[in-house]
Amino acid sequence: MEAANAMSFGPLAWIAWALAALAVALIARNPFSQALLLLIVANTWLGPSRRTVFPVRMAVILGLLPVALSLAGSRFGAHPLFSLPSSIPLLGGRWTLEAALFGATAGVALSLTVSILVLVQARVSTADVLALLPRPLYGVGSALALALAFVPQTAATVKGIIEVGGPAGGSRGWRAAPSLLMPVLLTTLERSLQYAESLDARGFAGRRRTRYRPSRWQPADTIALAAAAVAIAGLALSPPPAYDPYSRLVPALPALASLASLLPLAIPALLETWVSPHAADHA
Amino acid sequence: MPLITLDRLTFTYPQGKAPALREVTASVEAGEVILVRGASGSGKSTLLRCLNGLVPHHSGGHFVGRVIACGLDTRHHPPRELGAQVGFVFQHPEAQFILEDVESELAFGLENLGLPRPLMRKRIEEVLDQVGINELRARRIGSLSGGERQRVAIAAALAMHPQALALDEPTSQLDPQAAEDVLQVVLRLVLELGMTTLIAEHRVERIAPLADRVWTLHEGAVAQAAPREALSAGGARPPIVDLALKAGWDPVPISLAQARPMAASLRARLPAAPSNGAVREPGATIAEISGVTFSYEGRRALAGASLRLQRGELTVLMGRNGAGKSTVLKLLAGILRPQRGRVQVAGRVGYVPQDADTLLFKATVREELTGRQASSGLEPWLDRYPRDLSVGERQRVVIAAAGAKRELGFELRRRAGAGTAVLVATHDVEWAARIADRVALMAEGEVYADGPPRRVLSDSLVFSTQVNKLLGKGWLLVDELPIGPA
Repeated sequence: MEAANAMSFGPLAWIAWALAALAVALIARNPFSQALLLLIVANTWLGPSRRTVFPVRMAVILGLLPVALSLAGSRFGAHPLFSLPSSIPLLGGRWTLEAALFGATAGVALSLTVSILVLVQARVSTADVLALLPRPLYGVGSALALALAFVPQTAATVKGIIEVGGPAGGSRGWRAAPSLLMPVLLTTLERSLQYAESLDARGFAGRRRTRYRPSRWQPADTIALAAAAVAIAGLALSPPPAYDPYSRLVPALPALASLASLLPLAIPALLETWVSPHAADHA
Repeated sequence: MPLITLDRLTFTYPQGKAPALREVTASVEAGEVILVRGASGSGKSTLLRCLNGLVPHHSGGHFVGRVIACGLDTRHHPPRELGAQVGFVFQHPEAQFILEDVESELAFGLENLGLPRPLMRKRIEEVLDQVGINELRARRIGSLSGGERQRVAIAAALAMHPQALALDEPTSQLDPQAAEDVLQVVLRLVLELGMTTLIAEHRVERIAPLADRVWTLHEGAVAQAAPREALSAGGARPPIVDLALKAGWDPVPISLAQARPMAASLRARLPAAPSNGAVREPGATIAEISGVTFSYEGRRALAGASLRLQRGELTVLMGRNGAGKSTVLKLLAGILRPQRGRVQVAGRVGYVPQDADTLLFKATVREELTGRQASSGLEPWLDRYPRDLSVGERQRVVIAAAGAKRELGFELRRRAGAGTAVLVATHDVEWAARIADRVALMAEGEVYADGPPRRVLSDSLVFSTQVNKLLGKGWLLVDELPIGPA
């Protein structure tokens, strides 16, 4: 029962935690808040129940991409890093620190978003997601199950196509990206259809489902849910000050209450580390 | 009353120019075992998918006639209702797994049936024992070998207590031992439970001895016969049937056990096979891996493997699933780099992966083959969408197209004859014995046997042909035996 022992929180608790963390990641663009959330997410990932390897390279690339785009696209700011001849179309002119910082906040938000989704996917099984849904939403369950299953499968498809040299028969790396799109799309669609066939052939959505391993609500789940509520409330009542490097390079320090409201999001990491996992929900 | 009835069934896929099934009328009695055989694209998978309603409910297309499976008309009952009656095992087991671990996977169908938890537990314990996979119950699906996955897939279908089981080439991706394990499970279901079973299989020698009847598909039409008559008449059949016809044995045996008494006198008078047949002069070495070690995220795939490929030589690489065959191919193709040891390749390498889909993305087969004449046998498919073809047909297109794309293809014998070094990883021993200049056997990341087919395959308990198992003395193939009709 590897998966069972690995979970110390129920699926609903993880989903609530993820929604709160995503709200903070997408709304709070203050570097102090982002740094704190980054620490929390990293510690949560490093908890004892992680089951897969974290895609560090993907997170870093997603973080750097907005920096590069912002640097290349913006000529505003008082702190030039370097200049390119203005004769170069689009790229010519001053490349500024403000543009880099602006891109960095977007990049961190993007990396955080993906990291939180990957983290939840590693903690919440497809069975849990399907079990949470009432019968009228079984169709949504199919879509969710597909989404959960096909993140890793799409990655495997990309890897497989790159391995055979890509559709162009030789182009690799970033240059191959545009030509990869269609084969990856086709293969993913085809596998989605196979997956849907399997769901149907095995009776999914035929009648009200029962559960082989029913989840039981635990005190830890209540704590995680409360933590998510506190974080959302903190975001609503005391949002961190927005950061605009073009008007002020040094970010404003958020109010203590704002930072403190994020700290409960660290509770799953703390409990997972210090409290022995409860396997009762899968006994 | 038959358990399954197909009544004048004709089916054409959307945009299909010709019917995939034509006027099929057949029935299956409870407890029968039906072997479904036919060439790639003959309609085997389509026929099986009609039994649980995937055709036409998921495929679309033009469906004429009717299929009654376990009392349900498949036109009016969707797969989610038919699935509890007709268990289905797909060709690619990974395509049918929904959840992450084995026990959850077994429970999935039962949860969908709305069974109470104690009954689910009972059924799961029973099916774990029936299929012999209790040691796998806590494993994650991703960590299972191909054979283990297929056994789990069979167990998942069986747990729903279907009245019939349809298996679509369940051993096609497996090594001989893993295939044997899966077929032992099927055998147990048939003998102990009397499970009505329809099984499509290319390598019919494995199933023929179990079958009550054989359905032979040709261009969508079904011919039915008892196994002995069907196999004697032609088509894909076990080598011992060819041997029996050549030696004039009557009745024609369809299993090694039946053939052994008949073969006794032949075995006694048969000389030893010539030591090496027609030995080829070795060409120049054009690719070599030497003492190569490779691990995937800590899992050892190769442990000091060495192999040399020579110009004009067709080498077949065999070994159980996970032995390291694909890693050797990827190293030679430059997809992977050795972590220790040396890989040397002179010239360019074309690589055809096991999953043909990673290379098929054009609108038609003709476009896939751009710059190259269609190989014999591909002409009928030139204007078809490649991913609409059967798995076997897709692989043939990929092999033909690889030559066009990379100037060095895997047209196997012809290519080897033209001076290319060809390396093929396969589980098909009979095919390897027929086509290979050299056979290399792998296990635990090492090449442990390497030489002419006669030496390697006649000295193996698992990787051996039916003729060799029956007659020994180094003989591998029926064609080479110095015998005529009795």
